[in-house]
Parts: sequence; structure tokens; C-alpha cells
Amino acid sequence: MPDTNTREITFAEAVREALAEEMRRDARVFILGEDVAEAGTPFKVLSGLVEEFGTKRVVDTPISEAGFTGLAVGAAMTGLRPVVDIMFGDFITLTMDQMANQAAKVHYMSGGKWRVPMVMRTTLGAARRSAAQHSQSLHAWFSHVPGLKVVLPSTPYDAKGLLKTAIRDENPVVFFEDKMMFKMKGPVPAEEYTIPLGVADVKREGDDITLVATSSMVQVALGAAGLLEEIGVSAEVIDPRTTWPLDEKTLVDSVKKTSRAIVIDEGYGRYGVTAEIAAVIAEGAFHYLDAPVKRMGAMHVPIPFSPPLEDVTLPTERSVFDVARALCNRS
Amino acid sequence: MAISVVMPALELTQETGKLVAWRKDEGEPVAKGEVLLEVETDKAVVEIEAAADGILAGVKAVAGDIIPVGKTIAWIISPGETPPQEDAPRDPAKTAATVRKQPAQSAPSAAESASRGAKISPKARRLASEHNIDIARVHGTGPDGEILASDILALAESPSKEIRFSGEPKTLSSVARLMAERTTQSWTTVPHFFVLREIDAGPLVQALEKVRASADKNAGVRVTHTDFLVALIARVLLKHPRINSSWAGAGIRPNKDVDIALAMAVDDGVVTGVIQHADRLDLSQIAVQRQGLAERAKAGQLRPADIAGGTFTISNLGMYQVDAFTAIIVPPQAAILAVGSISDRVVPVAGQLAIRPIMALTLSCDHRVVDGARSAQFLADLAEAIRDPAKHVR
Repeated sequence: MPDTNTREITFAEAVREALAEEMRRDARVFILGEDVAEAGTPFKVLSGLVEEFGTKRVVDTPISEAGFTGLAVGAAMTGLRPVVDIMFGDFITLTMDQMANQAAKVHYMSGGKWRVPMVMRTTLGAARRSAAQHSQSLHAWFSHVPGLKVVLPSTPYDAKGLLKTAIRDENPVVFFEDKMMFKMKGPVPAEEYTIPLGVADVKREGDDITLVATSSMVQVALGAAGLLEEIGVSAEVIDPRTTWPLDEKTLVDSVKKTSRAIVIDEGYGRYGVTAEIAAVIAEGAFHYLDAPVKRMGAMHVPIPFSPPLEDVTLPTERSVFDVARALCNRS
Repeated sequence: MAISVVMPALELTQETGKLVAWRKDEGEPVAKGEVLLEVETDKAVVEIEAAADGILAGVKAVAGDIIPVGKTIAWIISPGETPPQEDAPRDPAKTAATVRKQPAQSAPSAAESASRGAKISPKARRLASEHNIDIARVHGTGPDGEILASDILALAESPSKEIRFSGEPKTLSSVARLMAERTTQSWTTVPHFFVLREIDAGPLVQALEKVRASADKNAGVRVTHTDFLVALIARVLLKHPRINSSWAGAGIRPNKDVDIALAMAVDDGVVTGVIQHADRLDLSQIAVQRQGLAERAKAGQLRPADIAGGTFTISNLGMYQVDAFTAIIVPPQAAILAVGSISDRVVPVAGQLAIRPIMALTLSCDHRVVDGARSAQFLADLAEAIRDPAKHVR
């Protein structure tokens, strides 16, 4: 973790810094995607990069996710290190064959002769009033495919350290950023650092219940932990940071200590990341559980455009607090 | 070649046997003569040995099953061999499907069912096991009464609230299990009543001394008070057929013979050996039989014939300096006599204080068969017989 003297920057700035540093460090790194150059993406995450690196390394593409993702796979196989920008996570459906059948499998099917050192950056998260096709959190889809690594940063610090590691990784890595988090500020050291993939982070220590939370839900879990503290329940908040590789040991060890767990993730609950993590906990800490492992995720519906309806589809500090309180047998 | 393992007939009239336990697991090698299973009849639990070398296979019965005599319940096969598929039914009536024990008898105890059915978290279950806490006795404070880790820890920290066990319950031996089952059945279903009488045992003591002085060379066994009592009681029972009767479920069945059962202590409990036709045997014959039974009981080698029948039981704790006690009836018998020690007591004799050897006899009776007056008359006649033993037995 950063020390207290560190400067504070936004999540978007942390991502931009990671990209700029890696592009300066390695001339093979380049960005491609829709509106990435002059526009700097609709979220302004990439603002300024085209000025420094030019349009040959910050490449605007046609609106053709399948096409430019395939282009990136080929570029990675032939020696470059592309960073693909998929504006909304909902659009990964268009890239699925390139990612699941090509990027994820080339290294294996070529007997190790080819590698695909590419990063796909995309977004997740609702609550932006963007309706059903621009609000989903589909990271579980990639987490399901052997050969892909999936990263879910929840703070500016994690975003920068993890993205630098992802770019240097020799395998395809999918990097999900919560679009509601881009303006969130947090401490990020000015000096060089990286964070390894597959190492969970204890965001808050506690004794009575473990809240496992990813990406956008980490702040929700921390808020719930604050509410729980008021009724005397000490909650531990753990952020796996990567769904694959998954730091099972940290999760299981925490639940062995607390005996209770809620897994909170903005993806759909059914057949989702929460289900997988809950199963890992149940298997690893079965004889330490004093209550069933609970899952909290997006309601199993298309995300509504209506703001009041959209809001009820998501776990909140209050709903996590309520479930935790019931699990801890407090009225 | 596959050898069948069948439910054996241990008594002439036996129709079914209860499989108590397999001593070998399916697939385990067995040697001829090794104990293969335990079978329970009405009277005893008997160990059944393997009839051949081989591998136990095709096991078709589990502990608790009640199985018709002669039915194949498993096979002993050679390595690589498979057990024959089905036992060819010779007599459909006799090879009827295995009958489960009645639910009333095999129902798990309240504690067992509670521990199986209680809602309890995995952590609480582990902690209960680690702290040797019986979860059947734990009051859960979680949702719907679920037992939580905190409930177990609270008990573990305050031992006074909860019985702490020193380990897992011990598995009972056959003798102990049978004793537990039979006494529970008797005590909970037979309406017992008890009649106590103190008797001057002086004539009995004298008669015994006389017999011992003259009878030793004949039999080679030492005659005891118990032998005298067996002989006297058997003869008195001839005059009291009701005491010698059995409760037959819906009525009273008089027994033709007088077969006296003797309670004998063994390591794991008590067994009864039967002296058949005790009314027709003289003292030395009774002594020989009694000693043989005692030796076989101690060695755990009682034969089915040793325990079959029995129309009246005597339990003598006199040698343990017990003054008096009450005994539990052995169904379907109607009565059991509990014999205390012969001890010198100060008693009035013809208006004067005298010191006499006194013996307390306590008769337990099944009130469905015997009433108070009958039991009193029986004790009166027994007291009369003890007053002059030589008149009744040689």
C-alpha cells in the first residue's frame, strides 16, 4: 500500500499514467480502439496520450470491435504489445471469438510457439443511466475461459499497478474499469511500482464477517463495513483484484477467521463471479463456516434505463449491511 | 467355488435371526474359522465363523436385518470369482425378502435423532466434536434454532451446563448390548411388583454342611447355597404352577417343565444359564450343571442349549454381601427371585433375643401373571422348605 505522503490522483489519471509509462518504457506498446486518439475516449481516460505518442501508437479504429480485436491478436502474435480499448464492456460480445477462440488458445495450440501479449481494457458498471446495452458487467464471461487473465481494479493505486503488470504479461489480459470510478481520487505514489496478478488485497481488517468485493463493489463493501461497525460487527473487506488468477488462500484464510462471508460483485449473481468465489470459500473453509456463504450481485434482469429501477438492481451499502447483520445473527 | 453364507438356525424352533454385525467388510479376505458375523436370537448373540477361506462378497444383509433361517446373506468367493447372482428360491415362503426390524424397536433414540436432525453450522459441528459436546443437548440461538459456533463455545466455557464426555461412546459388546435391550424391554413393558421376606437360613446352612461332608466324593464339585435354592425352589414351583408360567402376550401359558435359570455375572454384564428339569435333579446333579454353566459363561462359550428355555430365574448376590435387592424379570417368565447374603442378625426367638443367620429373598413378579397373594404363598412355601431342606432334597 502507498504511504501517507503520496499524492492523490483520479482513477482515470492512474490508468493514463500506467499506459504512458509503459509506452515510454516499451516502444512495442500501442493503443487502438474507438475514439481513443483526439477524443481521448468518452470518459477522457486517454486524454493527452495522442499528443505524446502520435497517431501511430494511439490508433483510432472504425466501429468494428471484432475487426480491431482480431487485428490486436495478430499484432501481439507478431511482436507488438497492443492495448485494445473497448468503450463499453457490453461490446465484448462482438470480440468473443477473437478473445475466447484465438487469443486464449493460440499459445496452447501452437505448442508455445506463439504468444498473445495483449491487453483489452474495457468498462463495467451500471448507475450511469446508460440503459441495458451500456451498463452490464460481463467480466464473468472472460473469467470462464482458460487462457485469459481478468483484472478488476477498485482503486487508482491498484489500477495503475495492475495495468502495468498486465501490459508486461506475456498472455492476453482483460482489464475491467468501473466507469463510475474514473473520477474517484486515491493515493498513488509517483515512483514506479507494479502489483502482481493473483494477489488479493485486504482493504479493511475485521473479525466477524468477510465481505469479498470486486471493482465497483469494494467501495460499497467498505461503506457497509462502516455501518456494521456502528452495531458492533467487525467486517473484513477483501478485494481479490483478479478473478483469474484467483488468490484462493487469502479468501479462505479470511473466512476461517471470521466464519461468515458475503461475496459482492456487480456482475449477475447467477452463474457469476460471486458463485465461483462462494464455492471456493465453501470448499476451503467448510468446517469454519457458521452461516451459509451469501452472494450479492446485479439483479437477474436487463439493466433498466429508469433511474429508480436501475438503482434497485444493484447491491448497496444498506443492502450489504442488512444481509451481513442477518448473517451475524444481529437484529 | 463360491460358498454361501446363510442365516444359521441356532435353536430348534428358530425361524428368523437378526444380523447384529458383520465382522468382515465386503471384499475383505476371510479365513476358515474366523468370526464372520454376529447373529442374535431371542436368547443370545452368537458369533458365526467363516466356513471356508476366501473373500467376503455379495453381502445382501445389513446390521439390524431380521432374516429367515437358511437364507443366503453373502458369499465367500475365490479371488477373481464373482458371487452367484441370486440364491435360487427353494421355498418361496422361507426365502421371503429380508424383513426390516419393526420401527418401534429400531427407532433411533431421541438423542440420536436430535443430533442428526438439528440445524447446526459446519463450524459449530466441528467445535462440538472438538469439545466433546453432545449437540442433542445444545439449545441453538440462531435462526430457526440453528446451533451456532457461539452456542458451542458458551457451553465449552461453562462445563457445568453440559455433560462433558471423555470420548466417543464405547461400542457395546454383544452381551452388554443384549442386556441393555432386554432389561429395557422388560422394565418398560412388564408391570413389576416386589415381595420381600426375611428367612432364617440356619437349617439351610446346616444342611449344606452336612451335604458337603458326604457328597464331595460323589460329584467332585462343591455344592453351594445356590444349588440348594435351585433344588428347593424347583420343587416348591411344582406346587405353584402360576409362578412357573409365562406371559404369552394375550394370556398366561403354564410351563410343563421347571427349568431354573441362574443369573451369572460375566465381564460385560450378566447372562443366564438354564438348569433344565431342576425339579427332578438331586443336589449333586444340579451342582455339576451349575458349575458347567458358570465355566462356559466365564469363557463366553455358552451353547444355545445352555440358554434356551428357563421358566423362573434366580439371581444371587449373597456372595457380594448384598443384604437385599430387587431384580428385573426375564420375559416371558413371570418371576425372578433376588437372593441376598446370609448374615447374622439379632432376632426375637420365642420371646428372647437370638442371633440367627438371616437371608432376604425378594420376589419380582409380573402382575399380569401373578398377584400379591399368590406371590406371598409361594414365598411362604419356600420359607417352609428352607426350614427343613433335607425333607425336600437329597
